[in-house]
Amino acid sequence: MDTLLYLTRRLLQALAVILIVTVVVFCLLHALPGGPARGILGPQATAEQITAFNHEQGLDRPLPVQYVHYLGTLLQGDLGTSYTLNEAVSRLIEQRLPKTLLLTVLSAFVGLLLAIPLGMWQAVRRNKPADYVITTLSFVAYSTPVYFLGLVLVLVFTQALRWFPSQAPQGETLGQVVADPVALVLPVVTGAASMVAVFSRYMRASTLENLSEDYVRTARAGGSRQRAILWRHVLRNSLTPVVAMLGYYVPVLFGGALVVEQLFNYPGMGLLFWNAAQSSDYPVLLGCVLVISVATVVGTLLADVVQRIVDPRVKAGRA
Amino acid sequence: MSVLEIESLGVSFTTETGDVPAVRGVSLRVRPGETLALVGESGSGKSTVALAAMGLLPGSARVSGRVSLGGTEVVGAPEDVLARLRGRTASMVFQEPATALDPLSRVGAQIAEVIRNHRPVSRADAAAEAVGLLRRVGIPEPEKRASAFPFQLSGGQRQRVVIAMAIANSPDLLIADEPTTALDVTVQAEILDLLRGLAADSGTGVLLVTHNMGVVADFADRVAVMLDGKVVESGPVEEVLLRPAHEYTRRLLGAVPRLAVEELPGIATPGVAETGLAEAGVAKPGAAGPGVAGPGAEGPGVAKPGLAKPGLTDHGVAKPGFSKPGVAETGLAEAGVAKPGAAGPGVAEPGGVEPGAVRPGVAGPGAVGPGVAKPGLAKPGVAKPAGAEPGIAKPGGVEPGVAQSGSARDIEDAPVVELRDVSVRFGRARRTVRALQDVSLTVAPGETVGLVGESGSGKSTAARVALGLVAPASGAVSLFGADLGRVRGRRRRALLSGVGVVLQDPVASLDARMSVGECVAEPLRVHRRGMSAAERRARVAEVLELVRLPAELAGRGPRELSGGQRQRVSLARALVLRPRLLVADEPTSALDVSVQRTVLDVIAELQRDLGFACLFVSHDLAVVQQFAQRVVVLRDGRVEEHGPTMTTLLRPRTEYTRRLVAAVPVPDPVVQRRRRGERRASLTAGGTEATA
Repeated sequence: MDTLLYLTRRLLQALAVILIVTVVVFCLLHALPGGPARGILGPQATAEQITAFNHEQGLDRPLPVQYVHYLGTLLQGDLGTSYTLNEAVSRLIEQRLPKTLLLTVLSAFVGLLLAIPLGMWQAVRRNKPADYVITTLSFVAYSTPVYFLGLVLVLVFTQALRWFPSQAPQGETLGQVVADPVALVLPVVTGAASMVAVFSRYMRASTLENLSEDYVRTARAGGSRQRAILWRHVLRNSLTPVVAMLGYYVPVLFGGALVVEQLFNYPGMGLLFWNAAQSSDYPVLLGCVLVISVATVVGTLLADVVQRIVDPRVKAGRA
Repeated sequence: MSVLEIESLGVSFTTETGDVPAVRGVSLRVRPGETLALVGESGSGKSTVALAAMGLLPGSARVSGRVSLGGTEVVGAPEDVLARLRGRTASMVFQEPATALDPLSRVGAQIAEVIRNHRPVSRADAAAEAVGLLRRVGIPEPEKRASAFPFQLSGGQRQRVVIAMAIANSPDLLIADEPTTALDVTVQAEILDLLRGLAADSGTGVLLVTHNMGVVADFADRVAVMLDGKVVESGPVEEVLLRPAHEYTRRLLGAVPRLAVEELPGIATPGVAETGLAEAGVAKPGAAGPGVAGPGAEGPGVAKPGLAKPGLTDHGVAKPGFSKPGVAETGLAEAGVAKPGAAGPGVAEPGGVEPGAVRPGVAGPGAVGPGVAKPGLAKPGVAKPAGAEPGIAKPGGVEPGVAQSGSARDIEDAPVVELRDVSVRFGRARRTVRALQDVSLTVAPGETVGLVGESGSGKSTAARVALGLVAPASGAVSLFGADLGRVRGRRRRALLSGVGVVLQDPVASLDARMSVGECVAEPLRVHRRGMSAAERRARVAEVLELVRLPAELAGRGPRELSGGQRQRVSLARALVLRPRLLVADEPTSALDVSVQRTVLDVIAELQRDLGFACLFVSHDLAVVQQFAQRVVVLRDGRVEEHGPTMTTLLRPRTEYTRRLVAAVPVPDPVVQRRRRGERRASLTAGGTEATA
């Protein structure tokens, strides 16, 4: 009951945030150079043509009215039409989003799978050679631009070693993409690298903090061994703040996808966004912005819910 | 055969600035069934000894010497040998029950973990055993509680869980490191009863690390006193606490604020004399007589007619007598147990009383307290101007008797702060917490009012209301005659600049990025805009001198100072605007007793000189008893009772206050043993009443 109430409240809050996002996107749409008419009709269009277009599209009506109209079309899943691809933006996103989700979720999963034990191990071996080596590598990985890292990986693994193809799977559907896992390796690794760097740092700090907590001493005083203390107590306690960070990391993941998809020619949202930006295809750009914003809101919501499950104190409003 | 044997233990910590020795050549032993108390102030190395005994010192510690637990050597032992010892041969109870348990594991599981660490028990059996242990440590509905998370339990219950973990495998030795320091007195008494019972039942030896002499008197068989990493004195508890041989022990005991307690007639204990005083205070000189039964109590001196002079407020009379309870009490108790030889002067010294003042009064061993009180009492009490009685106006002790004269001077003035039917609520809807309900209290000019109660009783909230930091949901607050609820803007700021604040934690309440001088000058920058930098510097130097800090400290950072110095910086900051009211919220509870003593002395002396009123929030009844003329007891956000300190704390009208007072352990093993018995008896009586 309490949980249901909480979920309803958080969902309403999320909706409010998304509504604000639509306002921002709407304003951006209207701030386009020359307005949407110039964008669609091109630089050669006459003033009459533009006036006619604006009237036809309802662009001469007051802004609030237009906003309500815009919201209405959004609710119907209409995000406008691409200037260059001549296709509904919603349809483009519908095709690309699952692939990007696959890439980002896989990257995040692989990244966390490496980052969490690495961070814990570093904390346990604090200020010993292993800690220094991993810390150095994390900083290198974190400060290397994704595109550069990707290029290096391509050079090493496709040109020199020839282990993996240089292109991501080109399949139309998700099934076709998954059917070619070998080709997915490099994009996922590239996407996961910075994730490992950042989250192993979080995990290291969080674990260190927990290792110095009194409850660890209590467990040791009760005769528990280091390994048991780590897995039974420290891991869970250290994970809670990391989980919270994950929600805020969603836009970063999408940002990474932008580069990775372009680099490996992977037909996802990132590539769509990239190409749209190259050709000033504003409806597509803003559609992507909207989708990524919603994904971020959903990501933080999920992180909150997960944290509530992991940490009973959150539910009681004590932490 | 001892369960714990420590021989010439040395511990030093490696830091960036070199090795810091923490323990130097300590030798101790704890025999089965015996409780050894390890006492000392912070930094004396007592906790380090306890951790060394468990092999729990951090990696930066270098250990020498021998520590043997049940015959196994601990120093240098590999981790798996230690793991087998910990929780089975010896186990430990820690200071902070709030953080000692894993917040994300259910308490039953945490207890079961300790069981399964040492015995091949199935999960289900361990869980069942954990429930049994919870029952044994007195947790109600243990089946249900076993699946609770630590945050769902109170501090006392959490400490019971930690104790359940510690006794899960019936260890030979229980190490308790300040087990009750973080708890309320009533809970402290229960936890001590529990530990004592468990140790007695199973013959477990106990190493009790504490700074609280009352706890020592209540619990220990033997005492070892530590100073700078060495044991300076050890012996049976009666010897060490009543006839301390080492100068440091005497000083330490002398600094302990002692709760004056009412005792049964016929036993010459401190309470007798003090009751006499209180009686006299309420202008019944005759009543002092019957109360004074023992040989040492010197009834006549107390009951002198001068005391009961008209115009005396009762607390005015009673107070000074209690400003030396340390002296009176011990001396009298000695007389009571018929060992007069050791008493008077020996105990008087650590009490901080200057010899000159004591000597004339010391007629017999027990007469010290009243003897000193006698002359001073009458005079300031009858509202003579301050300083009329130089013998009393010494810096040595807390001297409310003199401060009293300040309050007598302008007693007809309006109260500096008045709370009328104030209610405060936090949170909304179902989560609403009624922090205060219809609380009324006043502080008159120059007067000190003590605000006492258990944690959560609302005493800090009441102080914050007086400071204008919390707006009451209903009721009115008047500060210096103005309605705080109505005054806004500049006038409000000006009004509030008349209030100084000292808070509990001197580390957290001073900005680490400011120098001491800047910290003290800040109120001047805010409230005295016209002041030139030179004037400000001069004023800062002036107040630093007032609180007895050298002027050079102004350039230092707060972190470079000791706890007591920092708290005096807080005090200087509070006084820099010459406030008419000082709000002190647990100003000394984070400090060692000897430091607490000096800080309280400074406050008392300044109060006498500057005449500010004081709202003094504390959970420590002994400190309040020495410091405040009137006391307000809060319970669950309501005023439980209030009145003159001596009347209220000596003869409480309500059961709650009685329990509160009874739970405070006094640092005299003989007296404390009897008080414990009485408290127990009254609890059982109360229990049967409740069930009947």
